Amino acid sequence: MASATIEGPERKHRFFGGRQGAQRRFVAAVLSPALAYMAVFLLLPIGWAFVLAFFDFSPRRTGSPFLGLGLDNPFVGLEHFTRMFDFSKTAPLEVRQFHTALKVTLLFAFIVVPLNLAITLPLAAMVESVRGRWKVLYRTVFFLPVLTSAVGVAIIWLFVLHPQRGLLNGVISRVTGRFTATAWTTDPDLLFLGVPIALFAIIVAYLWQDIGFNLVIFIAALQAIPDSVKDAARVDGASAWQTFRYITLPLLKPTILLASVLTMISAFQVFDLFQVMTMGGPGDQTRALSLDIYESAFRYQRMGWAAAVSVVLFLLVFTISIVQSRFLRPNWEY
Amino acid sequence: MTRRLTRWQAFGVALLMLGSACTFGAEDTGGPDGGGTAAPDEPVTLRIWTHQNKSFNQGLKDLAAEYEAANPNVTLEFDTFDYDSYIQTLQTALPAGTEADILQMFGTWTCSYADNLSPVPADISSLADAQSAFFEAPIGGYTCDDALYGFPQEFNIEYGATLLNTATADAAGVDASAGWASWDEFMADAKTLTETRDGVITRTGYHFTSADALVYSFFSLILQGGGQFLADDGASFTIDTPEAREAIALMQSMVDEGIIDPELFNDTANWVGDCYFEEACAMGLVGPWVVPEYSTDFPEVAAATEYVALPTLSGTPDFVADSGWGLTVSANSPAQNVAWDFVRFMTLDPVNAAAWNTATGTLPALKTNGEGTAQQELIADYPHFEAWFPILEHGQYVGNLPDRDLLWYEIAYPHLLSVLQGGESVEDALAAMESEANDTFR
Repeated sequence: MASATIEGPERKHRFFGGRQGAQRRFVAAVLSPALAYMAVFLLLPIGWAFVLAFFDFSPRRTGSPFLGLGLDNPFVGLEHFTRMFDFSKTAPLEVRQFHTALKVTLLFAFIVVPLNLAITLPLAAMVESVRGRWKVLYRTVFFLPVLTSAVGVAIIWLFVLHPQRGLLNGVISRVTGRFTATAWTTDPDLLFLGVPIALFAIIVAYLWQDIGFNLVIFIAALQAIPDSVKDAARVDGASAWQTFRYITLPLLKPTILLASVLTMISAFQVFDLFQVMTMGGPGDQTRALSLDIYESAFRYQRMGWAAAVSVVLFLLVFTISIVQSRFLRPNWEY
Repeated sequence: MTRRLTRWQAFGVALLMLGSACTFGAEDTGGPDGGGTAAPDEPVTLRIWTHQNKSFNQGLKDLAAEYEAANPNVTLEFDTFDYDSYIQTLQTALPAGTEADILQMFGTWTCSYADNLSPVPADISSLADAQSAFFEAPIGGYTCDDALYGFPQEFNIEYGATLLNTATADAAGVDASAGWASWDEFMADAKTLTETRDGVITRTGYHFTSADALVYSFFSLILQGGGQFLADDGASFTIDTPEAREAIALMQSMVDEGIIDPELFNDTANWVGDCYFEEACAMGLVGPWVVPEYSTDFPEVAAATEYVALPTLSGTPDFVADSGWGLTVSANSPAQNVAWDFVRFMTLDPVNAAAWNTATGTLPALKTNGEGTAQQELIADYPHFEAWFPILEHGQYVGNLPDRDLLWYEIAYPHLLSVLQGGESVEDALAAMESEANDTFR
């Protein structure tokens, strides 16, 4: 039986020749720069981080000629990961700081995501119910903080929360008639339900900046719901709340999934607010994983350890995103 | 089969190219012994790496121009990096052997890079000569295992004298310009200078609880109490000592006396420089470099500022200091003799060294420039130096620590601050600091 396979130059000619070939050439030409960019600046560093996680690597030390690995930067296998399970009081400082950072990051993410959704969803419904130019104005006002630099946001909130000259303490002093200088971001004894107030300060700053993003997503999703579905519910006697609860909300499930996954990923990656507002303090109470990775890698040159922590962060985000998509996956589409 | 082989070969070549592109130190630079000697009149171009500091670099360039005029065959090219980039550049370039011929180095870092640096040639200076020419603290950083790897240009100092706002002191009826005979006297004045409102400190009498201030205070007070924190062989810490307890007790007493509230005044809130120049601190512990930084924005406070020597525990003002910025030569430089000649010109020539100190507003590392006419000239230019000169000879180099920043900012400062804030007992803090500090030798 004769083979139909086209080999060598002929196949190449067929692949890139003709009308379809021209299309393929166009696609390849358009995509190549982006793919090359991704390969060099995304995939290569990710792969390098995974490799480093198995080495006790520090750029301060002299490694072998091959990528600086080996010699004074030895292969340690899973040692970094096994050390992460040392929960004793005598565990090395970086291990204890990792435990703290993991706790802080989880706490931050699991507070931020529901709060964000609880604020943005009703707000989006309210903005959507506004008619005319006011809707555009509200949408713009709420979206503006998203465009602001996170460092700028952090500095503004530090000004608001400054113990002696801050707006918040100023208002409290006015209201109580007694000079107040609460150190919102630096007093380690300030806790609410066991959560450091300093962490809440960052959460507030984060939400202030971030809600506009989800708000726009929810507004777009609300606009996409056909009026006929809601009209049918009203005809059946559903109240405004019932329409929202039993019609709008279920139809928004895919958007809620998208928003919660995006917010969760972004919450795990927040760095600038932690770095500028508290530098991880007071006493590591706001040391997030991203800050921990940065400090380990670039301040103390423990690249191998930092890479291992970043692998954990990656796995964490990946797992939580999968779990979220399982739980929030809609059973039907419209 | 042939095609598959070709693909695998291509893949292998690509891997090899990638590997060689990313290889650290693959290029044969001669390694640590690969440096060379340029013939006397042979044209030589030396690259010099520095961190970005306007006055530091201008001072270097002015003297470099003089050197080039005197040595027409030598061309000096400068590359500057911002501080963070410079650290990372040194960390990656030195193991890779791609660094410049002359490297500006913070003394305390030097021994971390010693494997890739050229030892000072005997005809430039012996270790003993350098130790007698320079103050102990600055030269300490450039001395690694009894070998010398460069020379300091400045004495980096953070402890020994405090900023004093004389206008605030005058208004409060405090005359502190003559200094204090004891800590009790100091604390009495600090308390007078402290202002409160509804029980909250609005102006602290003495701010010593930012990171550097607190850690330098702690280790310096240990020295003044007759103790040490680093073993003689430099390979272990002993921090849980009676002298350490005494140091903490003194600092704690200032908190108890209401001179400072460490929750309101620390490294994050009301950092000492901001606090002092915004007049929320009457006195503050920070090196003399801070005055030029703030004098443009706060000219009135700067004009009212004096440095006054702090009292001591034992009568001698012993203190801990880092080694300052200086110059080193790469082991890979092909013209090490010329590079060292330039470093000698910059650092060992008292006139040039003093010119750089004057241009940069730094305290001298050379002992001869810390006395006599050179000292008077520096004081005339920088009156804030006056309180520091008498104590320079008492500075002890902090030691070639495995990771100085880790000890300072992740171990000592958090524990000391926590003790002062009431979050940790002295015993627990000292035990934890000792254990964590010794872990850094792992």
